[in-house]
Parts: sequence; structure tokens; C-alpha cells
Amino acid sequence: MILVTGASRGIGFGIANRFNSLGFDVVGLARTRIDVAFPTFQVDVTNDEEVRRVALNFKKAKTFPAVVINVAGIASMNLALMTPGTKARAVVDTNLLGTMYVCQAFAPLIARAGGGSIINFSSIAVALGLSGESVYAASKAGVETYTRVLARELAGMNIRANCIAPGPIDTELLRGVSDTQIGEIVKQQILPTRFTVDDICDVTEALIDKRLSSISGEVLHIGGV
Amino acid sequence: MIELVIEQVRELLKDKSQPVTGETALIGDSKILDSLGLVELCLRLEDEATDLGFEFDWTSDTAMSRNRSMFRTVSALAVEFESQQQAKS
Repeated sequence: MILVTGASRGIGFGIANRFNSLGFDVVGLARTRIDVAFPTFQVDVTNDEEVRRVALNFKKAKTFPAVVINVAGIASMNLALMTPGTKARAVVDTNLLGTMYVCQAFAPLIARAGGGSIINFSSIAVALGLSGESVYAASKAGVETYTRVLARELAGMNIRANCIAPGPIDTELLRGVSDTQIGEIVKQQILPTRFTVDDICDVTEALIDKRLSSISGEVLHIGGV
Repeated sequence: MIELVIEQVRELLKDKSQPVTGETALIGDSKILDSLGLVELCLRLEDEATDLGFEFDWTSDTAMSRNRSMFRTVSALAVEFESQQQAKS
């Protein structure tokens, strides 16, 4: 079974939908109630207890995911000195702590499944240190480091953990970012192409493939940096 | 409860001749299990707790503390397990 957070829209929805259409058993987690082709649970990943409760229900049902994909995230475009504390906290809560809570609650279930893979989502903003994305980039840098340590700690349990770091992908997260700004970021990629949700799905699919079982603790930059 | 924890630790040992007592350390320099073994022990205790009708929470602020960790010895873990059982019953 494949568990995807942030499954209501954007990259999360795209990934969940892709695996569902390929015939995988997919379960989505989303903050809002959604009507999609795969089963979903309503959960706020910033709420540690809520996440643990959902994981406990999976355990009670003896439903053990082999793959957990943490996509749930929010963005904040603002200058470092002008970002309100409440916004900074919300970004860190969702992007970093939310990822940690889901990993902590579900990694034991992956172990019970006999091992598997965790994929966390970072961003090109980390590698490029993009102006206007200080808090967002910091939260995603935290995700990268957390994933690297997690990969080391879980290796003995046959669990791999990696990050995917996309550049600008056409989702709601980019709302308010001009085409010029996006173009400037894309130009800094090694492959200066504006990649799509489908491209992310391809990489995600590849990462859970057994042929990539030697890859753990890595950050895969879409387009290269 | 200590017998239960000792039994579970014994089952996880590669070298079954190693002695396991209440004083056996689960963290630190003289720990008897590696980190993987410790997680497996917690998963087993989770299952035991489910059978006993409660949820065993093995997250802890002091997990790595030599003085306060529930994992510092087999008996400390047994005490914590029993205390959670009592609190939730």
C-alpha cells in the first residue's frame, strides 16, 4: 500500500492518482475532505496526535504501507525580515514537523510490512537559496537533513528514505509568483525546463522501484542544480 | 512484566547465550541490542500491549538519557510498560 500526504491537490494528488491508475493500493491523507478515485483520510499533519491516531487505525486494521510519500506542504513568498511569526510557524509546522510526525508514526508500520520506502518533498529553493523563500527554504532544508538521518536510522529495517526536490511546478503553491520569477528560477536548473507534475510522478515511481534499492538518504533535484 | 521484556529481548538476540537480566542495558556503551533491535523490541511490546488492551507509547523526551531513559535497562522498560498499562486501564 502507498500512503500519500497532501493528496487533495497539486503534486500529492498527481502522485496518488498516478499510482492509483497503475493499480497500486493507494491511500491519501488530506486536510480537507475530497472526492477522488482513491480512499482518503482527513488529517492535519501538523497535529501529532491526529497523525498518530490515523497510524494506529492502520495498525489495528493490519494495513501496513510499504511506501509513504510526504507531499503535504505550504509555501510563503516573503522577505525574511517581513515574514510574520505566525506565518513562519505555520510553514515550519506543516513542511517540517508534519513530515516528521508522519515519518515517526508510519515508519514502524513500514517495518511491519517488511520494509519499504519513504519519500519526502523538498524544493529547489534549498539548493538555490532563493530570495523571498527564506522560511520555506529553511523548512525544506530541515526536511532534507531529517530525511538523511532517518535514512541512516532506518536502513537496518530495510526502509529507504529519500527526498525529491522539484523546481517550480505549476500548482497552487506557485500562486502569486510571476512567470518572470519562475523563468529566472528555471534558468538556474541544469536542465532549464519547466517540469510538470507528471515528471515528478515519473521520478517518484522510479524511486520506489526495486531497481533503485541502493539509493537512500539522497536528494533528487528535478532538473538538476 | 519484567519476564515479558526479558523474553522479548532474548528472542531478539543473535547470541542466545548472552545473559539478560533486569539490569541489562538497552542503550549506552553496554547495550545488548543495536538500534534496529531496540525498535523491534518496541514493536513487539506494542503488540503485547495491544493484546493487553492498551497502546504502548515508546516515544520519550529522555529516550537517550543514561539516567532517565525508559530504555536504560530491561527493568526500567518493564516499569514503564506496566505504568502505561495501569494508566490506561
